[in-house]
Amino acid sequence: MTMDDNKLTIDKITADLTHHIRINKGFLLWMGFLTVSLLICLYAYSLQLRNGLGVAGIRDFVTWGMYLSNFVFFVAASLIGMLISAVLGLIGMKWLTPITRIAETIAVAFAAVAGLVIVSDMGRPERLAYVFIYGRPQSPILWDVTVITTYFVLSLLLLFLPMIADMAIIHRKVASLPSWLKPIYKTLSLNFTDQPEQNKIISRSIRILLILLIPAALSIHTVTSWLFAVTSRAGWDSTVFGPYFVSGAFVAGSAAVIIAMYFFRKNYKLQDYLTDLHFNNMGKVLATVSLVYLYFNINEFLVPGYKLKRADAVHLQELFAGKDALMFWLVQIGGLILPILFLLFRRFRKPGPVLLISIAVLIGAWFKRYLIVIPTQEHPFLPIQHVPANFMHYSPTLIETLISVAPFILVLIIITLISKFFPVIPLHETAVEKGIDHIKFD
Amino acid sequence: MRFKNLLIIIFICSVGTRVAAQTWIVPDDQKAVVAPVKFTPDMQKQGEQLYSKNCQSCHGNMGKDNWAKLTPPPGDLAKDKAQKQTDGEIFYRITTGKIPMPEFRNILSEDERWSLIAFMRSFNPKYVQPNPVAKAAFTGRIVTLAMQYSDPMKKVLVTATEQLKDGQKGLASGVEVMLFVKRYFGKMQVGDIKTTNAKGEAAFEFPADLPGNKEGYVELTATVNDPKSVMMTTPANANLAIGVPTDKPSLTATRAWWSTRANAPVWILLTYTLSVLIVWGFIGYIVMSILRIKKLSKGDA
Ligand code: HEC
Repeated sequence: MTMDDNKLTIDKITADLTHHIRINKGFLLWMGFLTVSLLICLYAYSLQLRNGLGVAGIRDFVTWGMYLSNFVFFVAASLIGMLISAVLGLIGMKWLTPITRIAETIAVAFAAVAGLVIVSDMGRPERLAYVFIYGRPQSPILWDVTVITTYFVLSLLLLFLPMIADMAIIHRKVASLPSWLKPIYKTLSLNFTDQPEQNKIISRSIRILLILLIPAALSIHTVTSWLFAVTSRAGWDSTVFGPYFVSGAFVAGSAAVIIAMYFFRKNYKLQDYLTDLHFNNMGKVLATVSLVYLYFNINEFLVPGYKLKRADAVHLQELFAGKDALMFWLVQIGGLILPILFLLFRRFRKPGPVLLISIAVLIGAWFKRYLIVIPTQEHPFLPIQHVPANFMHYSPTLIETLISVAPFILVLIIITLISKFFPVIPLHETAVEKGIDHIKFD
Repeated sequence: MRFKNLLIIIFICSVGTRVAAQTWIVPDDQKAVVAPVKFTPDMQKQGEQLYSKNCQSCHGNMGKDNWAKLTPPPGDLAKDKAQKQTDGEIFYRITTGKIPMPEFRNILSEDERWSLIAFMRSFNPKYVQPNPVAKAAFTGRIVTLAMQYSDPMKKVLVTATEQLKDGQKGLASGVEVMLFVKRYFGKMQVGDIKTTNAKGEAAFEFPADLPGNKEGYVELTATVNDPKSVMMTTPANANLAIGVPTDKPSLTATRAWWSTRANAPVWILLTYTLSVLIVWGFIGYIVMSILRIKKLSKGDA
């Protein structure tokens, strides 16, 4: 490769991966839409702050409603950063490079917002600090708060470290960079000049983070599952809840990554970097984790269904043939079994079809959390007697729904901002992988 | 088979709730019952106190329509629906209750129940009290129990005395007596029902292995078995040092999962603290390294 080729290629890669970093009309419209939607949801939240949790549908039977199932969903989706970067990355799968940052962005966004989702379920949010001041180290709730904070910081660092070199390249090479962004990039690039020492620090730090990320991620979702599994109630009283939740999280996260890949590829014109191969491979990943999840589902329902202890019987009856049956079978068949069957065929792992499948999987994943959290509470061992009917059956209110939509908007805002102002695909790493071994930093 | 059982259970439950939702019928002879005395301002005052203690939590303030949201709704007792009923009907309802309203038969005496009605009626200007009918004198047995521990017999001895027709006191034979000992939740019966002998005595063997408090005291209650309520009886209570002295620490006094924060198990404290320290130690180390990246380039520039 001659010097000229070299220069051409790095310039082209830089241009390809950064041309979207500018403020255009589409971006402003999209952000405006998100902001207005968020304001509407915040208004709903202000009503809850003023009038109390009674504005939501949660009552004496179902005290954990949509807010809590939303929380489980957000924690689940954030786990994908660990699967893509840490597990598959440490194994050494090279094709992942263009996807890692997307996965980390999703992890950071969902983990950051998961904490807020919990706050929406608090009647007195100003007492949040009491969780730490009066928390008992024996309680999974304290562990949950701890591991989610930790996982968020790890993910943020893991998002940032590979970006240092990128920002060093961009603030030097990209002439079209908005002027106000330049100093920010320069600061964040930490004067990176491709020194061997600097590279060593970065790669060593990334390695440490990747290793820490695995136990941290396993903990956050295992602990979240324990919030339920340590309670002796039909549908929660299970020993496989940890792996059941973790595998389910990978399903939701893989689907989220595929959807994000599709939109970035289209909107930021990244067809040369996010190729059919990546969609094909991510389709395989999604199929694999879905199969694992299916396996845990079978365990979760077959074992109690075989014994049919009385409380379990009532619970399963409602899920299989009762009030929740329609949602249950839509989720299990439409969100799990059919996607697996389709994904077995190569033609359904092309970008378009795999996008549709992922959307179905992600919607199914949300309702799956709903089915895990709510029906159990409608069949307590000792039902409260002679209470109004709306205490016994849960149906979310409009205000509650709006408050539950807010976190999604926040996630979209975070993902939009990160992806809009930073390269979606790691620039330096891509260049190095394409054989451009020396990039001039001067 | 199981599924069928389930259906049966569901069927019974749904029928059960319907039965519970049925109207509350007062027998005709009870409707006609009237108070034994003329209502007085003193009775109304006593009724007001009883009302705020026993009824207000559900029925709300009189005339304010702010009753608790229960099914069926308790309603405001100053309003027509309650006030249109006869004194006998209201008396019957307070006496018997109907889920979720408690039965006050054994909680409030008859006099107290009438005071409540006197209070309720004070909110109804149209109310005219029917002529009182004094209650017929009680003709059943009036039995009082006493209890002690007999060392020579090693038994709990319950003695029953009764008021005789001539006003004298006599030993009551042929009375069925039950003995209970207080435990964590509720009471446990000791032995079977015993009938008092000619001396009015019933002796209960006390198990040798029942735990008492630190000094071995147990709380005992003896009552008369009178399912048809044909007698007027007074139970006996005693605090006797006949249990095994036991000094069990409370469940939160030792280190355990379920205990307070101060009593968290050591291994949890260690695991939690160490994990947090190690992981955040690495995070701190990485942050320091990142800051070093900046310094390293200075020589180069
Ligand atoms: C736990 C709540 C509760 C408490 C305490 C309670 N009630 Fe009630 N009460 C009810 C309910 C519920 C009803 C309606 C029952 C029905 O209609 O089936 C009711 C009905 C009544 C009625 C009949 C009213 C009517 O309109 O027919 C009277 C009279 C009454 N209560 C008196 C009292 C009095 C007096 C007290 C206190 C000594 C009392 N209640 C305490 C719940 C309660």
